[in-house]
Amino acid sequence: MKHFKLGFLSILPLISGIIAFGAVMGSAFANAGLTFWQSLLMNTVVYAGASQLATVDLMRMNAGLLVVVTTGLIINLRFLLYSAAMSPYLKAASPVVKFLCAYSLTDQSYAAMSANDHRISSNSEATQFYLGTAACMALVWQGSVIAGYVFGNFAPPELALDYAVPLSFVALVIPTLKSTRHKAVALFSSVMSLLLFEFPLKTGLIFTALLSIALAWLLIRKTKYD
Amino acid sequence: MISERYFILNVALLAIGTICIRGSFIALSGKLSISPKVRELFSYIPAAILPALIVPVNFFHRGQVEWLGGKERFLILIVSGVVCYFIRNTLFVIAFGLALLYLVTQN
Repeated sequence: MKHFKLGFLSILPLISGIIAFGAVMGSAFANAGLTFWQSLLMNTVVYAGASQLATVDLMRMNAGLLVVVTTGLIINLRFLLYSAAMSPYLKAASPVVKFLCAYSLTDQSYAAMSANDHRISSNSEATQFYLGTAACMALVWQGSVIAGYVFGNFAPPELALDYAVPLSFVALVIPTLKSTRHKAVALFSSVMSLLLFEFPLKTGLIFTALLSIALAWLLIRKTKYD
Repeated sequence: MISERYFILNVALLAIGTICIRGSFIALSGKLSISPKVRELFSYIPAAILPALIVPVNFFHRGQVEWLGGKERFLILIVSGVVCYFIRNTLFVIAFGLALLYLVTQN
């Protein structure tokens, strides 16, 4: 339980960003004319903020099924990388634990784990830590989306609380930049994301991620690891 | 107005597709052998993805602060990144960025 608690606590400083994002998501559900239960259903079964925000907007415009689903899944394709990164820790885990970890994969949880890897010394500790981050994420996310649905985007506009979302991602990514190579990859990802921003169906995100991983591979390919 | 059938179909396909993506490698864990080099590669995933999630939205955001060319959100993001590098405190970085944005947009 010690590592579950550590994982849970590692997400707490990010709460302001999650609440702000949740409030935006909740009010987007309400503005699209979805009922409370429809919003809760989508937020529970899809459980992926960025793709939900994009697809709710597309559904509001009555876009074709193929466009909505393809856009959402392309945004979520990045989870493929997180899934690959989580798999070594879950070798001996039960199917239920594997399902829970897969369902709850988020940018925040994986980045929090990556930034705290010095606190983790076994697969079991990693799984507990991860589930702790996931529990905190799920509680705060669901609560803030419900609040956003009921009260609208409750933060005063002049405070620009939505800006806490990118700021929390800055605070997430910086501790993971442990070497010059990591920093080079982050810089490359920033530049590529700008260059590929206009790609259709939000494919710029996944292309940027894949090109950045390819660069990371180039940078480490000659290094020996035991 | 979003029809019930259209909504359910979209959400069902998104949910199934997303859990398949998330579960893909996790379902195979134990059957795959992952080399130390690939594990090292995994440490680059946040650096590869997270900037791409936030940089374009903030760079192309049309702000209101003329002397910053309307790019206040993007510029404050960079400053916050530098602050975060030296002060590893998430809450401080978020509060700092929000306060700085409030200050430049209110003056």
